[in-house]
Amino acid sequence: MPDNLSLYIERDSPLQRLNPLTKLAISFSLILIGFLGPGYWLATLLFICVLVPLSIWGKIGPEFLQRTVRLILPLALFLFVMQSLFYPGGRTVLWRFWIFSVKLEGVQFAYLTATRLMNMVGAFLLLLLSTHPSTLMTDLTRRGVSPSLTYILVSTLQIIPQMRNKANTIIDAQRSRGLETQGSVRARIGALLPLVGPLVFGSLVDVEERAIALEARAFKAKRVKTSLIHVPDSVRQRQVRIGLVVLTLVMIGIRLWPL
Amino acid sequence: MAIIAIQNLTYHYPQTTQPALQDLSFQVEEGEFVAVIGANGAGKSTLCYALTGFAPHFFRGEMSGQVLVAGLDTRHTPLEELMLVAGLVFQNPGNQISGAKFTVYEEIAFGLENLGVPPAEMRPRIDRIMALTGITDFANRSPYALSGGQQQRVALASILVMEPKLLVLDEPTSQLDPIGSREVFETIRAMSKQGMTVIMAEHKLEWVATFADRVIALANGEIILNGPPAEVLTSPLLIEHHIGQTRYTTVAKQAQAEQLWPPERALPVVIDEAEAGFRAYKK
Ligand SMILES: Nc1ncnc2c1ncn2[C@@H]1O[C@H](COP(=O)(O)OP(=O)(O)OP(=O)(O)O)[C@@H](O)[C@H]1O
Ligand SMILES: [Mg+2]
Repeated sequence: MPDNLSLYIERDSPLQRLNPLTKLAISFSLILIGFLGPGYWLATLLFICVLVPLSIWGKIGPEFLQRTVRLILPLALFLFVMQSLFYPGGRTVLWRFWIFSVKLEGVQFAYLTATRLMNMVGAFLLLLLSTHPSTLMTDLTRRGVSPSLTYILVSTLQIIPQMRNKANTIIDAQRSRGLETQGSVRARIGALLPLVGPLVFGSLVDVEERAIALEARAFKAKRVKTSLIHVPDSVRQRQVRIGLVVLTLVMIGIRLWPL
Repeated sequence: MAIIAIQNLTYHYPQTTQPALQDLSFQVEEGEFVAVIGANGAGKSTLCYALTGFAPHFFRGEMSGQVLVAGLDTRHTPLEELMLVAGLVFQNPGNQISGAKFTVYEEIAFGLENLGVPPAEMRPRIDRIMALTGITDFANRSPYALSGGQQQRVALASILVMEPKLLVLDEPTSQLDPIGSREVFETIRAMSKQGMTVIMAEHKLEWVATFADRVIALANGEIILNGPPAEVLTSPLLIEHHIGQTRYTTVAKQAQAEQLWPPERALPVVIDEAEAGFRAYKK
């Protein structure tokens, strides 16, 4: 079982060493341009010509492709089926069977949406696979993001798997007392109810103890925090980030006011 | 000078009529190891919170009397200042992991980051504490991937690295298996040997008997006994207040009733004394 929900893959590559904010800027500009930029093939191009090469540069190419496909494939299939059959206003019928007919407009729309989603999922995955969450949070905190906010983000990443473990422990305990947790849907829903009590009540007690633990570690101290990890940044990267913001605005502009 | 000086401390949790602590007065000298014992609800945890300022700063409630820790009056000192002086470790190891960090090493650094310690100064401090608590091997593991005993030592290390003058422990092994308990107790004992002042609420009386320089027994929020372990742990008051006694005391008492224990000999609280007593009887 993974320790936490972090997707980070440890590799020694220039992409991994980039400042997290730079990667954040790359991801978000790719997503925005993919959705709001001009041209039918734009999202496809961004994925093939930008995201894939970046992932190879980051030495995470295979993992990147594998995970993107695994996430996007079911969604894309669903989109194609629904849109090609039921796209409103579709005229050009490609082929038909029984009462269904597949329309070109629907297929095109499904393709556009699917590639945009793939571009978005890919952009997020590139960031998450190549950036350790601590590095990202440290850098954001250093730039003035509230420590409480970054704390909530990171602890959520960690607490979800922990809750899952706890739920499993409780289920095991219930099962060993002869409770039905397998079998029909009804039996399983019934079995979930006794789980709610310990999980919720346990969590309430936990919240108080966690708050005490955080205080005991001076989390609320009104001092300037320091950080164990040094996250490097450079003037060049700053320029790249500004460039990305400008590029994103220009691309959206071209879409809105085509020449 | 006493590192802890408590005068007539009475404390009520919010919206309660019965005080959780009632007219407590005692002192603790620097370097002392004091165990606090008592039945469920006797006020052990509350005393730990009062010593670290969580009562009243965190829990609110009503406090009268005075608690001085390293010269600081807890009522008029903000929590963050008190944390520098008195470290608190409590029962549930999982809940003491901050959740803010992904490795044990970073977890231990967390308190130092919050205190604004320069990074260059952090590493030697963290390395030293990890060696002391025996967790160096886990440095790069997730704190959530450790056993209870290991997690509790990470919790200890995370507090110790902040270099408090005083360590307050609230039943630090109550959620651990025997192996985990032993690991944690040995670590605490090592800290005490190095001169750290330790106040530990604990119900495992056999351990209390081997560790403590002094034992304070609480019942219904009041101090009923305060003295050396051999004296407090053999007092009949312990049974009366449902605190129990060590199994060595129990055995020797039974033996005494059947005239199998040397008359005039004090009741034992550790295994060696029990053994010596029975040998003396045989002669
Ligand atoms: N947060 C709270 N609010 C109100 N009353 C509380 C609170 N915490 C504890 N008490 C009450 O204060 C008294 C002392 O509780 P405390 O937790 O200090 O006992 P304890 O000796 O630590 O017990 P245990 O062995 O169960 O840990 C009890 O009567 C308890 O019900
Ligand atoms: Mg308690």
